[in-house]
Amino acid sequence: MHKKSAGSVVLSAIFYVILILWALCVLYPLVWSVFGSLKDNQQFLLKMPWSLPEFPLLWENFSNVWVNYQVGTYFMNSLLVTTLSTLLALLLASTTAYTIARFRFIGNQVLYNLYLASMMIPMILGLIPLFFLLSDMQLSNTLLGLILVYTAMNISFGVFVLTGFFRTLPKELDESASIDGASDYGVFFRIMLPLARPGLISVGIMNVLSIWNEYVMGTVLVNDPSKYTLPIGIAVMQAEMQYRTEWGPLFAGLLLSIIPVLIIYFIFQRQITSGMIAGAVK
Amino acid sequence: MITVNNAPSIDHAVGKPKAGKGMNWKTKRKLFIFVFTVPTLLFFCLFMIYPIIQGLYISLFDWSGGSETKSFIGFDNYKEMLNDPILGHAIYNDYFLVFWKVIGIVGLGVFFAVALTRFRMKGSGFFRQVFFIPNILSVVVIGVLWNYIYNPSIGFLNSFLSLFTEKKVEISYLGDEAYAMWSLLPPAIWAGVGFVMILLIASILSIPTELYEAGNLDGATQWQQFVRITMPLTWEQIKVSILWVVMTTLNGSFVIVWIMTEGGPDNATQVMGSYLYQMGFRQYHMGYASAIGALILILSLITTLALQRIMRRDTYEMS
Amino acid sequence: MKLKWGKSLTLLLITALLLMLAAGCGSKSETKTDTPATTTETPKTDTKTDTKTDTKTDTKTDTTTTPAEAAGPELEGDFEVQYFVGGYGDGFWKEAIADFSKKYPKLKIKESAGPKINDQMKPRWIQGSPPDFVYIDGAGANATQMVKDDQLLDLTDWLETAKNEDGKLIKDLLIMQPVKYDGKIAPIPFVFGTWGIFYDKAEFAKNSWAEPKNWDEFLAVSKQIKDSGKMYPFIHTGKYPYYINGGLVDTAVVVNNNYDGSILDKMQALEPGIFKSEPVKKALDQVKQLVDAGFIDPASAAINHTDSQSLFLQHKDAFIPNGLWVENEMKKDVPKGFDFGFIPSVTQPAGGKFVAIPYTSTVGVAKKAKNPEAAKAFMQFILTEKYAVRWAELTGALDNIKADLSASDKVSSLSKQASGYYNSPDTVVAPYIELNADVDKVKQDSTQALANGKITPEEWMNRMEAAAEKSRGKK
Repeated sequence: MHKKSAGSVVLSAIFYVILILWALCVLYPLVWSVFGSLKDNQQFLLKMPWSLPEFPLLWENFSNVWVNYQVGTYFMNSLLVTTLSTLLALLLASTTAYTIARFRFIGNQVLYNLYLASMMIPMILGLIPLFFLLSDMQLSNTLLGLILVYTAMNISFGVFVLTGFFRTLPKELDESASIDGASDYGVFFRIMLPLARPGLISVGIMNVLSIWNEYVMGTVLVNDPSKYTLPIGIAVMQAEMQYRTEWGPLFAGLLLSIIPVLIIYFIFQRQITSGMIAGAVK
Repeated sequence: MITVNNAPSIDHAVGKPKAGKGMNWKTKRKLFIFVFTVPTLLFFCLFMIYPIIQGLYISLFDWSGGSETKSFIGFDNYKEMLNDPILGHAIYNDYFLVFWKVIGIVGLGVFFAVALTRFRMKGSGFFRQVFFIPNILSVVVIGVLWNYIYNPSIGFLNSFLSLFTEKKVEISYLGDEAYAMWSLLPPAIWAGVGFVMILLIASILSIPTELYEAGNLDGATQWQQFVRITMPLTWEQIKVSILWVVMTTLNGSFVIVWIMTEGGPDNATQVMGSYLYQMGFRQYHMGYASAIGALILILSLITTLALQRIMRRDTYEMS
Repeated sequence: MKLKWGKSLTLLLITALLLMLAAGCGSKSETKTDTPATTTETPKTDTKTDTKTDTKTDTKTDTTTTPAEAAGPELEGDFEVQYFVGGYGDGFWKEAIADFSKKYPKLKIKESAGPKINDQMKPRWIQGSPPDFVYIDGAGANATQMVKDDQLLDLTDWLETAKNEDGKLIKDLLIMQPVKYDGKIAPIPFVFGTWGIFYDKAEFAKNSWAEPKNWDEFLAVSKQIKDSGKMYPFIHTGKYPYYINGGLVDTAVVVNNNYDGSILDKMQALEPGIFKSEPVKKALDQVKQLVDAGFIDPASAAINHTDSQSLFLQHKDAFIPNGLWVENEMKKDVPKGFDFGFIPSVTQPAGGKFVAIPYTSTVGVAKKAKNPEAAKAFMQFILTEKYAVRWAELTGALDNIKADLSASDKVSSLSKQASGYYNSPDTVVAPYIELNADVDKVKQDSTQALANGKITPEEWMNRMEAAAEKSRGKK
């Protein structure tokens, strides 16, 4: 790698072009939806799709969406549901994963396989029964119900990854700790969990992404607009736009849902990628 | 899923009781194991397994999904699946997506990971950040965005292509059976590459650089280094990526299909999940829909199992 | 990760069996549980309408218990209305509900509405805790299916004697009589309209294209339009093929059956061979003619109603099959000078009659309604001439009550044109039918494939016969 041959320079150049093209593919639709959100229907129909929005820019598309849909509420709901479900799922998954990874007991392997196999279950199959379950528990149409369901949906993935993670941690650690008189609980919470942080982070990120974006279950389990999460809100918005041809507001709505995630992503992207990397290489 | 076979099967010796601790210690340990596994298991069974079993149970009934009564018909729904040409097509479409998404996502993911690490591109941090963006978008958002890219008259793609042709391009990507399935691939690949790329970047960075230096000294070309060093040493992550794509496709491709085409035109883009939805919620055969759900479950299990077998053998051949 | 799949599968099966037993027991108790009011409300306050804020507050207070004050003959208690929000918007419902709640202030009215409301409310119908009143419209709602599922209250006797707010017998006011299911009436048709072919009169005049009155003229002008290179002659809503079915295919079927609409009833009854009968074949051949002549805009195949309508309004296409709501649905985007022309059918030969294929959306009372009296009262409240006019004004479409619209200048010109056709002896209004959902799906798919040029009329007919055969077997 140090001495670059002519061939490798050419190769690099080709790679560079491909990388830039892909970056455009990723960024352009986003830029395009920014433009789109500032246009009216006439501009959509008569101008080229890549044309810049005409003046005056239609910022009211954003305020329309903001006023007509409680995007702020959706956002807070999403935040709450995602945070709590992720934390709960991590707690439930990490305890089980730790036990499976470090202790021998009857049913150890069975338990592991159960969680593993359940990752392949199409959740939509349980949609209707789940609704009945929640309403029997008086949890239908509540954020708590949504949180419990999302937690359950993310446990198996956590168990799967974290079991692998705990297995790689040197066993001498907890042996010496337990000789020092620490209880099993102490070993787990004070020693193992901190050590497993990279794994927890990468599982957490995957959980956050899947919960933040979930909408199929949400649509049926919650039907009170004050309890919508962002994806449900957008899906409803899109369904309504279908009957009204409001491309500008539609894109404005999309952006309102994308922007907070993008901001969070760029602030934490170092942690996110390094978390995922740590989880991946272990 | 990230760690799959990396963890050598350690003998978990920690669990063995040690000298100097009595029965009390054993009971405590049992209690500990109980506390750490059973609540999770109960919670999981209640909110995950129980609804699914209920769902499977529904598959034994003729139930419209709307009435309060259902009639037991045993395995008739499953028998009916054998004579349903649309279902056959849906299964084919699922595996079509699985196949091309694996090629596309893993292929591009590996390529980007290699390009951004082994080739020390300028701005690799930037690319890494950007390429991951689609992974943080909701499928709903992705579906809506791509719908407008594909829109035959006001969409980006046709307008762009029209720049190079005399006659205006008027391809109806999602409306023509010949293109519809293929048109679902770019958004699906677009949305998945980032994750695989990050996974592999991590894996490549953990390969000791001495190996590549040795390769350089031996005069190995970049390609040879890729085949002999990068591929074998990142095989675990590649495998994980493939399994990830396969599983998320079989279980989840329904959302993007439903948002973009609703399974149309003329069922050309129906996948098992969207057909389940169509049958259960649009044509009022919830029992049959549940049977399709069971089929998805079984096929996912078989596919994953088979893939693991295949890829395990590959590992031996390569290393 | 050495998987012992055999083991884990056995385990799964065992848990499955165990839980199935549990499920079997559990499902019995399911229906008994009465969910405490699942609160729902309209997903938004609409910008287009203006009377709404009062109902909004109603929905917020619904969990508090009703004060048991003396109410006289007044209606009281909770009253929940479910309505789909689509092309007609929600302005009418919000206004009617607001007026209704003014009349019966003791009612706690809850609105469950939105474009996804049918899916969202589905579990509550299954569970036996449905809303009281339902307006059945939009994707995922099917009145016939609701009757099959025994979800709707039998209104046969009620309709015999029910008088509306103005003291008029409702039965006498209905344009279209309710469909009878085994002699029983449950859903009452509330919206009335017909499909048809739409075009811009102004644009036709400008290009001196003749407004067609029959199939030959339609083909001739289509050719003229195509040759002019200005636009495609014909666009349709490919993603939802019932538009082209209603505006073109079904009209042709009736035309080719000597204007005898009973063939549609036979289709509904899934009579063997009906989908292969001569009138159907001729009708499909007419569609094929359009395909072969290249008159159909290729963009049609993938797009939904609003997209296709936008293209039509922008003069990218001359004709579109649609329903009467189109003008209202697109009112923001109708270009200046656009003059909607409407013709119920173009498939008839010269000198033939027009065929209008009707559509409807129904209203009903839930069989398990907790407040059926309020639901019936609400029906009596809205099935009046006053609200027929309001419906026409707010939605640009017609409802199913005979009312004099000419007095209102807010009623769209389209609705007036359409009324003109219906009152003419040259127009045959076909019976309203609802195909079984499975057969209907096959019809939509097949028609779309036919219009895309992917299948032949023969294949269309074979598919339909096979689907009908299958459905008959299930009965």
